[in-house]
Amino acid sequence: MSGFEVLKAGAFTLIEDFGRFSYMNLGVTNSGFMDEYAALTAHKLLDNNFDENLLEIAFAGLKLKALGETTISVTGAKCHFKINEVEKNIWQTYKIKKGDLIQIDKILEGQRVYLAVKNGFKIKKELGSSSVTIKENLGGVEGRQVKNQDFLPYEEFKQFVSKRLKKEYIPKYEKEVKLRVILSYQEGDFSEEEKDKFFNSTYTITPDFNRMACKLKGEKIKADIDGIISEGIAFGAIQIPKDGEPIILLKERQTIGGYPKIGSVLSIDCFKLAQMKTNQKVTFESIDILKAQKKVKLFYSALL
Amino acid sequence: MIKIQVASVDSLIIYFADVISKENSLKVKSAYKCLKALNNKAFIEIIPSYTSILITYDIFLYDFYSLRNMLTKILDNLPIEKESSQNLIKIDVYYSLEVGLDLQRVALHSNLSIDEVIKLHSSKIYDVYAIGFLPGFAYLASVDEKIKTPRLKTPRKKIPKGSVAIADSQTAVYPKESPGGWNILGRTAFNFFDKDLEALSPISIESKIKFNPICKEEFLSQGGII
Repeated sequence: MSGFEVLKAGAFTLIEDFGRFSYMNLGVTNSGFMDEYAALTAHKLLDNNFDENLLEIAFAGLKLKALGETTISVTGAKCHFKINEVEKNIWQTYKIKKGDLIQIDKILEGQRVYLAVKNGFKIKKELGSSSVTIKENLGGVEGRQVKNQDFLPYEEFKQFVSKRLKKEYIPKYEKEVKLRVILSYQEGDFSEEEKDKFFNSTYTITPDFNRMACKLKGEKIKADIDGIISEGIAFGAIQIPKDGEPIILLKERQTIGGYPKIGSVLSIDCFKLAQMKTNQKVTFESIDILKAQKKVKLFYSALL
Repeated sequence: MIKIQVASVDSLIIYFADVISKENSLKVKSAYKCLKALNNKAFIEIIPSYTSILITYDIFLYDFYSLRNMLTKILDNLPIEKESSQNLIKIDVYYSLEVGLDLQRVALHSNLSIDEVIKLHSSKIYDVYAIGFLPGFAYLASVDEKIKTPRLKTPRKKIPKGSVAIADSQTAVYPKESPGGWNILGRTAFNFFDKDLEALSPISIESKIKFNPICKEEFLSQGGII
């Protein structure tokens, strides 16, 4: 079995796949790619299965040494990506030979880089997925983030197909993003005035932003109720805690919770959020459920 | 009458009631059983809680309205299943000041002796109302009125694995070390979640739980850690 030797792991490099499903009733979260657009594109370039695993690199400083032939693709945040010290473009495939050094040095725009290898890394799945959820000690390499000296095994792959994503499909990572929201859950417990405030304000991303949730700062929103009976939380749900500042729940959210929710951010817009940083801005606009379902179906039809 | 509402682009939530009660919990459990029995591959997640069930579904198979119609037909007049006593799980607990970090606090708050607190906590059969927060964290109720104690003002950064705790009228076991603000009465060696077990968790919302006080030696012999 061939693989990558991890010379430098970077500050936060994770093994992720499409996610861990059907265990939420036991309290196990979904986890999985934070930015499905970039991750699924990385797999599509390699003609991998969509639910194959890859590396999600949230901070630069990754250095890998290849022990055998394969093909890789790199997508996501704009970064300094090098093979054997030569600067390369991302959003395309590269042939990798034994001894090659792969580096992700500096993230310039966006937040998460995805590095996929042909047919994925051969690591054991736990509960049907190799996505790591550190707080649950599940998936990935021993349920933790990738660290120096880890070995990431893959099967050698000798054929090479050069593929590149067309320019018009490469996303620009803006400093302000509009997130579409389906009013749902407890929206009836927010007055029209409060909803207007919510849709007409600009919110700032706080440092409280991780794979679990994104806490915003800005205009405070008040619900007519204090709390609710704890209930299941969907991906993208927007909690309004007592301090009135929204929290968007993401891939590693807890499965149930008791804060009122004004609605849910459209899943495909949460993928855009996954490429944002502290102090960048978001605004919200409303979208109805059928339109939203159509948009999401289009997204997956194009990628799968 | 059930209420079915949008939760997100690919999730909906079914409300069976708006207060927590044993009867409402039985409604949820009957519906949950029925939904699981459908084996519908469109259901990606089914998350039952006190008065609701959240379903995440495949939007390539149903849109919100078609699924709502289907669920309304099935669930709206669903008979409530009788409780089964077969699901009773006994859990051995070492109650003591050594591991029950808040035993004293609960005793003072309830104006009872420590032994009385232990007796009241371990003599009830609890229902599982929801599972969440952590893998295998089961919300159990209802704790005897006499020992109801509010959460700590400042949550602890670390609660040891296996801690048996109460918060208001609920009780639970921490399945792994985690932060938390519940009042800790004792510790158990019983594993609430183990990824290496085929069943993952011996507990489901259909379970019933009874705690059984044991001595320190027995706790240690079961693999308990102090």
